Amino acid sequence: MAAQREQQAAGPGAARQVRPRWSTSAHARRLITLALTGLIIALITRRPEFVGVAAPAVLLLAARRPERPGQVGVSVRTSATRLSEGEDADLAVTVTGYGDHSVGLMVHPRYAVVPEPGPPSGGESRLPFRVDRWGRRSLGLLEITLWDRWRLAEGHATVDLPTVDCYPRPATQRTTVVLSRLPSRLGEHASRSPGDGVEFTGVREFVPGHRQRRVNWPATTRRGRLQLNTFAAERTQNVVILADASSDVGEPGSTPVDLALRGAAATAHAYLAVRDRVGLVIYEHSVRWLAPGLGARHYYRIMDLMLADHGLADARSRDVQILRLPRAGLPPGSLILVFSPLLDRRMVETLRDLRERGFSVLIIDVLNAEPSGRRDSLSGLARRIWRMEQEAIRFSLRELGIPLVRWDGQQSLDEPLAPYTRRVMVSRR
Amino acid sequence: MRIGPQARAVGAAGLLAAACVAWSASPLSGTGGLGGLLLAVAAACAALSVTRLALGTTPGEPLVYLNPVLRAGRAAAGHVRGTPWAEGLVIATLVLEALHHSRPWHTGLLGAALLAYLLAVHLAESRARLAVLRPQAPLLAAGVGLLALAVGAAMLPATTGSAADLMAILAALAAVAAGGLALRPP
Repeated sequence: MAAQREQQAAGPGAARQVRPRWSTSAHARRLITLALTGLIIALITRRPEFVGVAAPAVLLLAARRPERPGQVGVSVRTSATRLSEGEDADLAVTVTGYGDHSVGLMVHPRYAVVPEPGPPSGGESRLPFRVDRWGRRSLGLLEITLWDRWRLAEGHATVDLPTVDCYPRPATQRTTVVLSRLPSRLGEHASRSPGDGVEFTGVREFVPGHRQRRVNWPATTRRGRLQLNTFAAERTQNVVILADASSDVGEPGSTPVDLALRGAAATAHAYLAVRDRVGLVIYEHSVRWLAPGLGARHYYRIMDLMLADHGLADARSRDVQILRLPRAGLPPGSLILVFSPLLDRRMVETLRDLRERGFSVLIIDVLNAEPSGRRDSLSGLARRIWRMEQEAIRFSLRELGIPLVRWDGQQSLDEPLAPYTRRVMVSRR
Repeated sequence: MRIGPQARAVGAAGLLAAACVAWSASPLSGTGGLGGLLLAVAAACAALSVTRLALGTTPGEPLVYLNPVLRAGRAAAGHVRGTPWAEGLVIATLVLEALHHSRPWHTGLLGAALLAYLLAVHLAESRARLAVLRPQAPLLAAGVGLLALAVGAAMLPATTGSAADLMAILAALAAVAAGGLALRPP
């Protein structure tokens, strides 16, 4: 639109000049209708009371003045550029240079953006909004309407609203799965090997060179020889989250991809909180990955990778396998947590390969949709065969030693993972 | 349950529209077939103008894969939004009023109600507060005064004849013009 073309390139929050398009307001058109109808009926029927009906409208229309601001300054800022799904935020809009006109603001939102009731008008306004689905979202358009003092002329201008990063809303997860064999890297998990941690593992006889402050005096008194306390070494583990985004089926907002990313966000947060090294692999048409790392900044790298624009896959990237990732992306001995609906055969084959190469894999099944169709017997039969196929896939993976739990996206992730979080998960080679 | 200002404005516009239609139609006898037709048109315009206000002025985001029922609903809502129902209501009620024999005070009240309806429609569609009409208050007061004058003039016993009627109309027009010139804002 012309008004949009007039917008000058400006950074976020900077004031830009927009030129409103002025026209007669709908209110003025209605007053003209009332005045003309009253006058015409008065002349035709020769009844002066109809002139009186037209009189207020004629007086209001006669008050119109041609002065209008040629351009106004508009500044738009968001209270946050990074949000989680469903989180409330504000748009701070400031309009300047509108003189004695009044200002109305209206947001025309894009997909998944929900403007909430807020102050209807004014030069400086805060317009609340929220984003209901993860992704890199443009908020939409802001329509600015200016009215003159008599509400007879109105000027319209539109401004593009900024883009925000909406992260998947993390599910709840407080517990973590810990492998029985951990790499020799300092961390917070008590390992089976003795070390300098704080978790008591037993008592052993003193050998010259051991630290004397660990002498267990009650045991020494009982046995007559010096006894020492031993402690477990504390280790970290490498966790690679594998999110399968290849099959986006079901209701928007609760598809397997939504569940996979929400679960992956919760898992990344839970493992980073206990100082584990967390990596992410997103399996779609192509493979996007991030090597395991530590810290709060790494969490945001993981979330940004989830939102990264993957574009259209070309023929070569369709055949990319996870196993071709460099060693940094899939360190040996890693715990691999897979969020997948297991609908893509390539994914199933990849999981088999991972298991055969000795990785500890745990699948969180996020399939929550079924093929829809008619309710006739043939469709019912097809659905039944499809269910049997899915059960067969899951059975074959279990037979290979890959544990599989179901997660519906509603409950906490702690519930399905409980059998594996109560004790260490044995790493099988 | 708390009613928001927007809902109150739409409700006020709906009540005023219904009052205008009922007031201009009563009594319906003596207006002939045209009266019934105009009453139907006015009632439809009143209902659709309130529907338009309730729908809001913003059309939903266009969705490509809508089922036919939803698509038809969206198209119907678009037509309701795009048609000037309030203008239709004004014309239909005034013509319906003109079909009755001369009753100046009745017509004067209808004119005041129509003006209030148009202001309520404007407040509802622009989501503005009542305070935005404060600058217009002197003009509105003058307009209502002229309306009362015109009604009073019409009720005076006058010499019968077309020339006298025409003179009364011209006098009312002159009064409106004089009022407009006198109240012309700086």
